[in-house]
Amino acid sequence: MLGTLLVRFAFALQGSAAYRRTKQFFRDILNNPECSYKKYFDSLMIFLILTSVGILVYEVRHPVPEWMIIYDVYVVSLIFAVEYLLRLWVYSDVHTEIIRAYEEAKFLRKPFRLSEVLAKIAKEKFRYIISLPAIIDFLAILPAYRPLRILRIFVLFRVFKLLRYTKSINQFVDVLSNKRFELYTLLFLLLFIMATAGIAIYVFEEDKNPNITSLFDAFYWALVTISTVGYGDIAPVTPQGRMISILIIISGIAMISFVTSVIVSAFSEKLDALKENRIIEELNRKKAFLIICGYGQMTKMFLRQEQKLGSDYVIIDKDPDVVARAIKDGYQAINEDASRHDVLAKFNYEYAKITVLCLTDSDVENIYIALNAKSLSPSIKVIARATDEGMQKKYALAGVDHTLLPAQVTGMMLLTAITKPVMYRGMHAILTGQHVAHIDEVYAYRCVGLIGKQVLEIDFRSFRLLFIGIQRGEKGEFLFNPPADTVISEEDILLLMGLEISIRHFKETFGGGEL
Amino acid sequence: MSKRVYLFGYGKQGHALAEGLRREVFEVVIIETDPHYVEAAKAAGFEESYLIDVTQDSQIEALHITPDATMVCVMEDEHLNVFLTLSLRALYPEATIFAISSSIHMTQKLKMAGASRVIDLYHVSANRIHNILTKPVATKLLDSFISNDSDISFREIAIPEGSWLHGKMAEEVDFSAYGVLLLGLVDLELGNKFIFITSGVAHKLDSGDILVCIGYNEDLDRFESIIKLSTEPKKI
Repeated sequence: MLGTLLVRFAFALQGSAAYRRTKQFFRDILNNPECSYKKYFDSLMIFLILTSVGILVYEVRHPVPEWMIIYDVYVVSLIFAVEYLLRLWVYSDVHTEIIRAYEEAKFLRKPFRLSEVLAKIAKEKFRYIISLPAIIDFLAILPAYRPLRILRIFVLFRVFKLLRYTKSINQFVDVLSNKRFELYTLLFLLLFIMATAGIAIYVFEEDKNPNITSLFDAFYWALVTISTVGYGDIAPVTPQGRMISILIIISGIAMISFVTSVIVSAFSEKLDALKENRIIEELNRKKAFLIICGYGQMTKMFLRQEQKLGSDYVIIDKDPDVVARAIKDGYQAINEDASRHDVLAKFNYEYAKITVLCLTDSDVENIYIALNAKSLSPSIKVIARATDEGMQKKYALAGVDHTLLPAQVTGMMLLTAITKPVMYRGMHAILTGQHVAHIDEVYAYRCVGLIGKQVLEIDFRSFRLLFIGIQRGEKGEFLFNPPADTVISEEDILLLMGLEISIRHFKETFGGGEL
Repeated sequence: MSKRVYLFGYGKQGHALAEGLRREVFEVVIIETDPHYVEAAKAAGFEESYLIDVTQDSQIEALHITPDATMVCVMEDEHLNVFLTLSLRALYPEATIFAISSSIHMTQKLKMAGASRVIDLYHVSANRIHNILTKPVATKLLDSFISNDSDISFREIAIPEGSWLHGKMAEEVDFSAYGVLLLGLVDLELGNKFIFITSGVAHKLDSGDILVCIGYNEDLDRFESIIKLSTEPKKI
């Protein structure tokens, strides 16, 4: 009876879009770093934690006003409790579990046993409860119980909660956990020396040294000495005791420098990765950016021009030496293999307009990168460099938007320079954007004033502009010198030539100042 | 400009260039140091292919090149290419020398050696990527001019003697009515310099000036015949 009721309820939840949306919302806000509201939630939690700890410190010397206690006990703890429950809720889906078990039972013609399912769900949730972050969360709620003074110290667990909301601490823990083996080994060694030295001093000095009365004192002395802290409240008085001191001080120095070097090396190993992640994160916030694969002559030349524009880019190269050189030259570079799926998948290809430039000098690599990018999302634009004319077909098959043959381009340019010198100079001026002959593309949707107008209504001459033609949409046909009654529509791109200031003036006049 | 081009080097670049120049009805003279390449050039139909040692000035002089000739240096050996450019410049101070370079340093050396125009492989390609990214429509249009596979092209038209254009201001003439756009012109009075129409300088047209126009080939042909007339025809 109760079983069928629950199953029906589970199906109702499954069918409800509102429920799913709500759950997804909380899941995002709690766990999804991409969610835009998460940072507000995190800031609120950090604020609660800091005020709560502040009140604890303040309380030591001062009487605390009533509202502070109410705030600390009820507001903070309540929010923490709600958060705890929400996390427990979003950890797994109970209703899908019930439905799955129900359908399985139906399929196998077995009786549907509610207790089995509930046990399974409870086990699942229990797994969350005993995970470390959940335990910290739970302990952080405990100080709400005022009568037990000792619980007040659990406020400090609220500090541990900060780990959840701040990224840098997480990274610190991550870095250290990579050196788990070394650190455990050292800890074990430390405990071993401490125990031996402690027992030894206890045996030698328990009756002679008034400061050492128990084994605990002996261990305490051993740790203070081995860590080179040396409070001096307990000091050996016998020559045997001093001999032990000498030994453990020497081993202590060695061990401490060892620990330090392990931590430092862990960081220096991870530093590049951390930096690279930061570059990627910054880029992912941008609307459009370039991924340049390979750092050779071509990339250098390209960046030299591109830098003036200040556009967003990152260089990816497989060779760490090459990356180091790029960074030395002042460019943003990361050492990764762009032909690997997970490398490109790190970029925000769903929202941003990404252009991948395959400029390595190997065709195999370029094609592989191109395929990789295109398989990730066809909307990624790929421009690749080919070494050979025969390769062009392969690049086209790989879906590359533009294939570039440096030798061919150069040959063409040289040929033009010889056969059509005037045109060469003209094109050179136009393409290198010399200020007298700026050729520019005006997007109609950015210049709202143009839409719906006929060409003759716009007096290009008074703007000192030469109207060359209209491109109908990104992939549409190009109308050269269109008839005067052509109407400009929203997706048109107007090709104009003139001084840079004339073009800017034109854009401003028609309502699209910014580029 | 003379339609005779001296092409030094028949390697990968030289080969493509020679074919391109032949298509444009240029007289191509090929000079190589490698007998295989000379044979290949002869086989491809370039009658005037010579095998010489380009480091010997006497052998170059034996080719009887006119002092104002057009020369192209695309030897496969980069060092030899720079050396050759230098010796050609020393021998023919008046000549127009083109060269292809494959690095920034080489460009500088070639320029110092006296090349009139150096085309830098990487520079040109990088420029192109840049243009594809920032000016896709314009790049496509200009490409079609170069590759000659489009109906629209770029043409230099000299104003003939006694044309109705003579004495008119460039702004007065409505070129677009003829389906032609005037990009700019080369004014003989002002030296051999290309002036863009949009530079904002009022300009008087004279016979002998070279108009640089773009338009459909048929429109350009028609326009070329129209400007031969002594009076502007009535608009249709």
